[in-house]
Amino acid sequence: MEHVSAIVLWVAFLLYCGAFAMVLVAVFARHEGFNRLGLWLVAAAWALQTLAVALRAADAGRAPVVGAYESLTAVAWSVALVYLVLELFTRVKAIGLYVLPVVIGLLVAALVGYEAPRELEPALRSDIVVLHVIVMLTAVGALYVAGGAALLYVVEERQLKRRHLGGVLGRLPSLATLDRLIFHATLLGLPFLTMGMAAGVIRAETFDVERWWFDPMVLLSIAAWAVYAGLLWGRLRADWGGRRVAWLAVVGLVLMLVIRFAAVPYLSGFHTYGS
Amino acid sequence: MLVVVTGISHKTAPLELREKLALDAEAALRVERELATRAGACEAVALSTCNRTELYAYAKDSLAASQAAVACLAEQAGVPVAELGPSVYSYSGDAAIAHLFRVTASLDSMVVGEAQIVAQMKAAYQGACEGGCTSVVFNRLFRRALEVGKRVRTETSIGERPVSVSSAAVELALQVFGKFRDHVVLILGAGETSELTATYLKAHGIERILVANRTYAAAEELARRVGGRAVPFEDLEGQLGAADIVVASTAAPHVVVTREHVERAMKHRRHRPLFLIDIAVPRDLDPAIARVDNAFLYDIDDLQHVVDENRHEREKEAAKAERIVAEELDEVRTWLRSLEVVPTIAGLRDSVEKIRRAELERLGNRLGDLSAEQRAQVELLTASIVNKILHAPTVRMKEAAGREECYLYVDAVRTLFGLNGSGCAGGEGERDDGGRGEGERDEGARAADDCRDGASGDA
Repeated sequence: MEHVSAIVLWVAFLLYCGAFAMVLVAVFARHEGFNRLGLWLVAAAWALQTLAVALRAADAGRAPVVGAYESLTAVAWSVALVYLVLELFTRVKAIGLYVLPVVIGLLVAALVGYEAPRELEPALRSDIVVLHVIVMLTAVGALYVAGGAALLYVVEERQLKRRHLGGVLGRLPSLATLDRLIFHATLLGLPFLTMGMAAGVIRAETFDVERWWFDPMVLLSIAAWAVYAGLLWGRLRADWGGRRVAWLAVVGLVLMLVIRFAAVPYLSGFHTYGS
Repeated sequence: MLVVVTGISHKTAPLELREKLALDAEAALRVERELATRAGACEAVALSTCNRTELYAYAKDSLAASQAAVACLAEQAGVPVAELGPSVYSYSGDAAIAHLFRVTASLDSMVVGEAQIVAQMKAAYQGACEGGCTSVVFNRLFRRALEVGKRVRTETSIGERPVSVSSAAVELALQVFGKFRDHVVLILGAGETSELTATYLKAHGIERILVANRTYAAAEELARRVGGRAVPFEDLEGQLGAADIVVASTAAPHVVVTREHVERAMKHRRHRPLFLIDIAVPRDLDPAIARVDNAFLYDIDDLQHVVDENRHEREKEAAKAERIVAEELDEVRTWLRSLEVVPTIAGLRDSVEKIRRAELERLGNRLGDLSAEQRAQVELLTASIVNKILHAPTVRMKEAAGREECYLYVDAVRTLFGLNGSGCAGGEGERDDGGRGEGERDEGARAADDCRDGASGDA
């Protein structure tokens, strides 16, 4: 079962790559049909990924969010879901252009660090940990989407400012659209991030983890939280233009990536389970 | 006599130079008259748009005409002729007419297929016509050109995806705003381009249009036409705070909106993106505005990028339009040649007839004892000889009228028979006798009378 799941995930990964190629053709050769084809490929890939995750969960007999392989796959899964929902319910052009690289990147990281499903440690057998993980995955999915949109915003804004209009015009989503996406994705992500962090703190307190507040991962998480809170505050209350908000989202994305790919595996004192 | 065009365009000269060479209606008329005196041009039209300044002349010596045109332009702009030199192009004869048609068909425009050039060409022609600078040839040629412009727009889809300067601007604005919801447009300057841009924006869903102009009445007038609201020009900063899109096309010779204006306005507008399009030449908006955060500034040259994109897609339609131009060119070429041939034939007949009459008169005394009937016979005989001799050359020339080598015939006949003094094709000189010449003259006079009506019919 474990191998079947891995093979299915590989097929899903290849389909995501194919979908990204279709989106590239759609955007740069201005061929709308390819965008729809890409969307179907993403839908198929996502369905296969769901199957792979379900198989793995059935195999392990628990939620498939333990360890790097499983959690990265889960994030990719939630990002792809966000993409499908956005593409189906909004008429935003070329979302795949910045969402699919995120999905593909996450899956590459997951597949490179493949590990067999393992037993849940006693420390993690807790409802609040399950809540923590699920909520965090949602937050990360939404905030990665915001970060992707922000990167595109920054690039497009630069192109518009520098008057390199040929590649931009009519191909990429408009700045206003990206601005709205950044805002809405952050608005979705921040409450979940808050909840997830709160659940983590409660867990740390109940387990009497010493000096948990001094952990690099925790400090970086607080910084990221502050960046996103600042972004929303600035956007809602202060005179912050689209450019500044976009840069904040990029900074937030960098922090989130550092937390996931540097702080959690290498720096954190207590968040590394089973390694 | 040849049609000669001399000028600069976006293809040969940068915006800085075009700015200097831009002619208003008054200057255009001055240049047209200057060209007539300097180069002996019989007819002249000056076309000045933001992308080109061109002088059309109907003159005997194409080289002299083009040199005079360059000199006129240089003088007008206060630029040395040498500096102008590399940017200037000049065509004569068929090439000049082809150029005129291609320009009017917007095939030579920065945005191929844009619609404004027809109106601009019409205005240029009307100005020249009312100033008495056009006559038979240009009246017909320019009306034909306007027709060509119209035909190209209706018979090809070259204008179906409109990408004039204005609509290219709209496309750019859409890239920033996505969709126009409750965005506000501020129009600076109440010119024709402003109106066109406002109409475009309105067609794309913009509802709130503010119009500011130095002359408040003009702002009110434009506001009424586009369904907007006139606002005082003095409160520029306040208006910048309210607007999302600024379209500047005033006739001001200096910068109207500075970077400081925009920076201060940005605070009022909570740093929402401000989109500024400068379609005025000389420019109205300070180029430094581009460095303000969330301000997007584009001038005419920036739109070139957009244009290149669309030009590619329009190549097929442009090929169709070129065929229409070629067709029309053939027709007008035939007519122009016949224009030379007819007065030459008339001149030839006139000159020979004069000889016949003079000889008859000279012999009058010696024919004294002839009866009236016999005199009539002599008269008939001589006339018949003249007719017989002239018959073949007349037929040959008429046959040649539509052909390339027609100029050779005209030249040969004029030289051999000493028919000089081919004045302006306005109907003077030898034209008066020939029936066709008379007709042409009528047409010329009629065209001059109703150039406004006639041309406005092309709208």
